[in-house]
Amino acid sequence: MTTEHEDAPVRGMWRQGLEVFRENRLALVGVGLFVLLAAFSFLGPLFYQTDQVHTDLTKVYLAPGVDGHPLGTDGVGYDQLGRMMLGGQTSIVVGLAAGLLATVVGTVWGAVAGFAGSWVDAIMMRVVDAMMSIPALFLFMLMAAIVTPTVPMLIVIIGAFAWLGPARLVRGEALTLRTREYVVAMRGMGGTGGRAVRRHIIPNAIGTVIVNATFQVADAILYVAYLSFLGLGVPPPAANWGGMLSDGLADTFSGNWWLLYPPGIAIILIVLAFNFIGDGLRDVFEVRLRRR
Amino acid sequence: MGTRTRIVCGVVAIGLGLTACSAGAGGGAQQGGGGGAQGKDTATVALRTPNWILPISAPGFTQGENEIFSTALYRKLYSYQLDGTSTDNINPERSLAEPPVVSDEGRTLSITLKDNTWSDGKPITTKDVRFWWDLVTANKDKWASYRPGGFPDNISAFEVKDDKTFSLTTKKAYNTAWFTGNQLNRIVPLPQHAWDKGGDAEKTFDELTAASKDPKSYATNPLWKTTSGPWKLDSYVPSGEVVLAKQDAYSGPDKPKLNKIVLRPFTGDDAEFNVLRAGQIDYGYIPPANLSQKSYLESKDYRVSPWYGWSITYLQLNFNNPKSGVLFKQPYLRQALQMLIDQPTISKVIWSDMASPTCGPVPAKPGTPGGQGCAYPFDPEKARQLLESHGWKVTPDGQSTCADPALCGTGIAKDTPLSFTVTSQSGFAATTKMFAEIKSAMAKLGVQLTIKEVPDSVAVTPACKPQESKCDWDMSFFGSQGSWYYPAFASGERLFQTDAPVNLGSYSNPEADELIDKAQFSTDAGALQEYNDFLAKDLPVLWMPNPVYQISAYKSGLEGVEPQDPMNLMYFQDWSWKS
Repeated sequence: MTTEHEDAPVRGMWRQGLEVFRENRLALVGVGLFVLLAAFSFLGPLFYQTDQVHTDLTKVYLAPGVDGHPLGTDGVGYDQLGRMMLGGQTSIVVGLAAGLLATVVGTVWGAVAGFAGSWVDAIMMRVVDAMMSIPALFLFMLMAAIVTPTVPMLIVIIGAFAWLGPARLVRGEALTLRTREYVVAMRGMGGTGGRAVRRHIIPNAIGTVIVNATFQVADAILYVAYLSFLGLGVPPPAANWGGMLSDGLADTFSGNWWLLYPPGIAIILIVLAFNFIGDGLRDVFEVRLRRR
Repeated sequence: MGTRTRIVCGVVAIGLGLTACSAGAGGGAQQGGGGGAQGKDTATVALRTPNWILPISAPGFTQGENEIFSTALYRKLYSYQLDGTSTDNINPERSLAEPPVVSDEGRTLSITLKDNTWSDGKPITTKDVRFWWDLVTANKDKWASYRPGGFPDNISAFEVKDDKTFSLTTKKAYNTAWFTGNQLNRIVPLPQHAWDKGGDAEKTFDELTAASKDPKSYATNPLWKTTSGPWKLDSYVPSGEVVLAKQDAYSGPDKPKLNKIVLRPFTGDDAEFNVLRAGQIDYGYIPPANLSQKSYLESKDYRVSPWYGWSITYLQLNFNNPKSGVLFKQPYLRQALQMLIDQPTISKVIWSDMASPTCGPVPAKPGTPGGQGCAYPFDPEKARQLLESHGWKVTPDGQSTCADPALCGTGIAKDTPLSFTVTSQSGFAATTKMFAEIKSAMAKLGVQLTIKEVPDSVAVTPACKPQESKCDWDMSFFGSQGSWYYPAFASGERLFQTDAPVNLGSYSNPEADELIDKAQFSTDAGALQEYNDFLAKDLPVLWMPNPVYQISAYKSGLEGVEPQDPMNLMYFQDWSWKS
């Protein structure tokens, strides 16, 4: 049961955090950009409906504004504006899901390694070091070449290799936290290691984790773009901004700029949005800023 | 970092991103202009560095550039032209011998050499053919063109009659056109007087092979100085530039008009294309992804020309797949699927006219428009009727299923869906677009196509038995640059005969086997046409738009480049600069 007395400081902490976040204008811009792009991608198709399943080879490379296509059409006649919405859904879903997957896996791995210490830590972190020594993009390409790149598969592939950064970060936090008095006291009262990790290590490292998660999401979106650019993205008729950018590059010499700039700008904006949000959250979890 | 600074950084980041995109889009345009890098007696050609000089190809060294290089230095017994103007497709001018004279009910071919000389002035005689014969028969397992049972296993006797005439007797009678186009094409007279040191064919072969595996010595090794071709090797940089110089002692009628040909390799398509855009090579190619720059190149004094290959392109069906194989075995279903592939429009719109429809197993004559009279042209309505008349419930944009198993065909259960996975090639934008279009067309009849792109689709879709786990693939496409390139005689014994080595889908039809045998062994001149007409209708595969071998771009002042050889050779001796 929670009492009113216990609730008060919690509300205060959230309000304080929100205030600090709001003071960072770029963070607000980031939130605005993300909301805008997410609304464009997920709500846009409700208001602007296009056929993104059937091609139309009689309407390829129409310029913006021609024949009712505000952003023109691509090389198989898909409406480019509708395709941007469809592509945004993939990019955002894969980015968010892969970023979160990497964060969760990395956090648990790092917390366990840091808390356990000794040979457990040594083994777990050598695994991380070994995997980090291989270029991530190379691993993604290898995996994407072996398996069929569907949306869930892209999430797993990117998430499976992007957790290394968070793992190292959280492990560093855990090494510090495990020596704190409240953790030592809990262990002294018979608390298990699992409980320590669950109730103390991870919650106290959450600031670092959340800030890092935003950058993981941004990185994951870029990875999707890289893979699609290399021809290893989701197959048609699915779309994502990276793949659209790649197609646009091939077409742009013909003057079909509308196939290049919109996905390019969208990728830049969504990555910037998550970086700005990450900056803002870092301010929120920075104790000195919160107390000023 | 202050808020204002951060905003500025954000704006700069967007600006840099856009600038990077712009640079990628048009940066190269500033490199344009300038003429050919060489003078008017030289042409610079974009070509990978050849790494095999011996005119007996070895496994792993059969790349196209090696064939071009080898042919420039050593003339083959027969050269071919596929324009239908000559007997058995033999090019009478470039060949070293007269067309074969057939006797003994088609089993013996007598061949008479023309008067030609080696670069050192010695005549080319049957000793040189015999030398080649001895080398390949003694070392056939090391020869890339060898197939058990094929040439030279199918020869019962090789006889030299005199210095100019020799004969080959085959174990059974072959169609002369087939034997001439697909077997005699491998014979290359070799300079016996210069290369035969001790008479031991195995030892000599090993020495020649060892020398051929040492590219850095190509330009200096005396072995390679005695040649029969129109060119001699002037300089050779391993993995780098190769210079061919006009062979003054060349005895053939097609004497080189230029003094030098520079073969310049590039690390990749983009590197080649950037140099082409800069006007620094006289003959190059446009990578398919950059085809949209055709007009730019034309404005820079290049002529862009599709190089049609002697090839066909198809979508392989796996008849042995336990699930989809029973479907593919139904001729009506193959016909319906074929009628959902709009080859003419795909060729024109997606391949930008750099592909032409394939209608059957024999390629259209080079230069003639493909797609004329295909047995099953694009007709979705007819496809729908065909499916419905065979018991399928067609659900447009849904999932069509078998409603009446008695009509659907043997082994097809009720509610079986029409759903297939295509394993295609990644890295080809036009291929991706093509399958987006085909998927769309098929979806309109409820045929669900899942596209799976992999770097090497052949490797993951092998010929298989139904019980094998690797037999789970439905359809395979590996034709982004043409699925199959034929020798001069386009018969199908390697592709569509039961258990043929490249019959990946395990197609089997006794009537087709009989027609393939007939094309290979009978003297009936119409056998190839008969075989083509049957398979065009029987659909052992789904016929697909056939892309050109290469989109060539050459300086408009360079003459003699065309017609480009459909068998992918380059005859530099025909080239000259417009005066």
